[in-house]
Amino acid sequence: MLKTEGLGYWYQDKSDPLFQDINLTFEVGQSYAILGHSGTGKTTFLSLIAGLDKPKAGDILLDDRSLKKIGLTTYRRHDVSIVFQAYNLFTYMSPLNNLLTAMAITGAEHAGDKHFALRTLNDLGINEDLATRNVQHLSGGQQQRVAIARTMACDAQLVVADEPTGNLDEDNTKEVIAQFQKIAHDRQKCVIIVTHEPDVAAQCDHQYRLENKQFTQLA
Amino acid sequence: MNFFKRAWLNVWAKKGRSVLLILVSSAILMFVLAGLLIRSAAVKATDQAKADVGATVTLSANRQAAFKKMQSSSSSTSKSSRPKMTLTPVKLSDATKISQLSNVKSTNVTSSTTVNAKSYDVVSTSTGMGSSNGGGPGGMKSSASTGDTQIDGVTATSLTTAFSNSQSKITKGRGITAADKNTHNVVIEKDLASQNDLTVGDTITVKETAGDKAKVKLKIVGIYKASSTSTSTSPMSADPANTMYTSYTMANTFKGSKYANTADSVTFNVSNPAKVSSVKQAGRQLINTSKYALSTDDASYQTVKASMANVKSFANKIVWLVAIAGTIILALIVILMIRERRFEIGVLLSLGEARWKIMAQFFTEMLMVIVVAVAIAGAGGKFVGDQLGSQLVSQSTTTQITATSSTGQPGGSGMHGGTGGPGSTGTTTSAKAVDTNLDISVSAVDLAELGGFGLAITFLSIMIASGGILRLEPKKVLIS
Repeated sequence: MLKTEGLGYWYQDKSDPLFQDINLTFEVGQSYAILGHSGTGKTTFLSLIAGLDKPKAGDILLDDRSLKKIGLTTYRRHDVSIVFQAYNLFTYMSPLNNLLTAMAITGAEHAGDKHFALRTLNDLGINEDLATRNVQHLSGGQQQRVAIARTMACDAQLVVADEPTGNLDEDNTKEVIAQFQKIAHDRQKCVIIVTHEPDVAAQCDHQYRLENKQFTQLA
Repeated sequence: MNFFKRAWLNVWAKKGRSVLLILVSSAILMFVLAGLLIRSAAVKATDQAKADVGATVTLSANRQAAFKKMQSSSSSTSKSSRPKMTLTPVKLSDATKISQLSNVKSTNVTSSTTVNAKSYDVVSTSTGMGSSNGGGPGGMKSSASTGDTQIDGVTATSLTTAFSNSQSKITKGRGITAADKNTHNVVIEKDLASQNDLTVGDTITVKETAGDKAKVKLKIVGIYKASSTSTSTSPMSADPANTMYTSYTMANTFKGSKYANTADSVTFNVSNPAKVSSVKQAGRQLINTSKYALSTDDASYQTVKASMANVKSFANKIVWLVAIAGTIILALIVILMIRERRFEIGVLLSLGEARWKIMAQFFTEMLMVIVVAVAIAGAGGKFVGDQLGSQLVSQSTTTQITATSSTGQPGGSGMHGGTGGPGSTGTTTSAKAVDTNLDISVSAVDLAELGGFGLAITFLSIMIASGGILRLEPKKVLIS
């Protein structure tokens, strides 16, 4: 589904890239964990496959089409859904309106369907009462579940998550990872999670470690 | 059009911020509206002034030409026979031609003379100035004596400056009208009437000062009160109470048969004061300029126009200064607001939202604020405009204009045969107060214009502040 071909990235000095010549393939129905220490470039890698930045070298292909041809805005709108460590919800909205807004922007199949949005939230433990409150009145775990529900409500085949459990306790972490697994296996999406927690990575179908500017698949 | 919903949700969720924005915008727009109101009121006042103060063009004898002629003849004659300055009475046929020009609203024929009281006593003055005979400047010499009663022959009293300015008012009966032509009807002053127990319907007898000095009976059709500060310079009719109004034909009869169908001067009231020059220009083509002169009097209009132009210019400056300052203030607020909302913009961009739609969301939010602000400013702008307008007016626009009455138009004196008194028509100087109060009211047009300004200010503010949105990279905001 998603391929990187000779992917490379550097900030100032081309001779000192964060990573280079990366060739990876990500498939639907699978979950992937990208591990690495801080500063190794795993979040930068995520920003490239999420369409938030352009690679300095190589290319990213979605179903054999270059993101350059698709266009990053179109790619972000229709093909990828992102979950952030800080949730990044619309703070002036309720969970329900967060979902409806995301569905409207991405042109999801169920755009405008309030009942679908409520059902999706309910599946993640956000009942109707919570769904209609302002998101700022929800706990961190609840907000992260709303963020995950947002990705589920949209039709994107690729779900990328940047340290999604970074702000969560152990119970919430387990719950969130379980939801990502469901998204990958039940909804047949490709889930890529960037994390520095080996326990979280261990629950994914595939694990890669970014080290010394190269990705290594873990056994 | 999801950005409309987002805009509404944001404005509603952040009520405190929205109220503050509404207050700031209202204050800005209130001053813009005040400026707009004063400007439109100044335009209205200038238009009103055109209608109120009016302007006149007067046809009279060309005194300058007559004086030059006198001087040239004096150099060729002996000292013993001093030359006389001969002023040619205005022919009514010439006046008729000018009265047919466009923009001439009405015509007032003026013919003045003096007569002697026969059946009544004139009001005597005790100013010490004397009502003696005496030479004023520039009058024509005549063998006839000067009477004690001033006769102002007019087409209609309402067309004279004294009556149109309300310095003289009819208190009983009626004024002289065009229908009084060729009649012996007269309007006398209240003091003269009360001194002689005269009232409307009574008849008085006067004695001509020229020709065969015949006695003429005049029928009183009206009594007027001269409340002006008018001071007649005519020696024999020093007290304004001794001035009577008759038709100009009656005045001509007193002056003698050769004055039939003539006038001392003819005043043309011009409907649009701005057209005075063109009427004068066209009029000059119709007359013999060596004998007659056309003079204009639009001083009142020019004064009002000048003061209103000052107010209008000041109002324009207010509008633009406030609009520019308002745009800058709002732009700064919007820039700060957008900086606070970088994460929201980043999330929207990560969802694939177009940048122009994000700008449209902010514009819509500001538009909602501006709509409420326009309504508040519409309610409060009149108050601010009233205060500002009255301050401006009190400083600069109530103007005292000195105008010469129709009986004393330049060159109009000394035409009545036989009076012999120089300058004997009694030039009346009156002060005419022109009320230039600004009528400030909020109309739909003003609100529409204010809405336009609000829209422009909002648009510019968002455009200035949107540089940040266009440059924003979601990665830097969301993953840093």
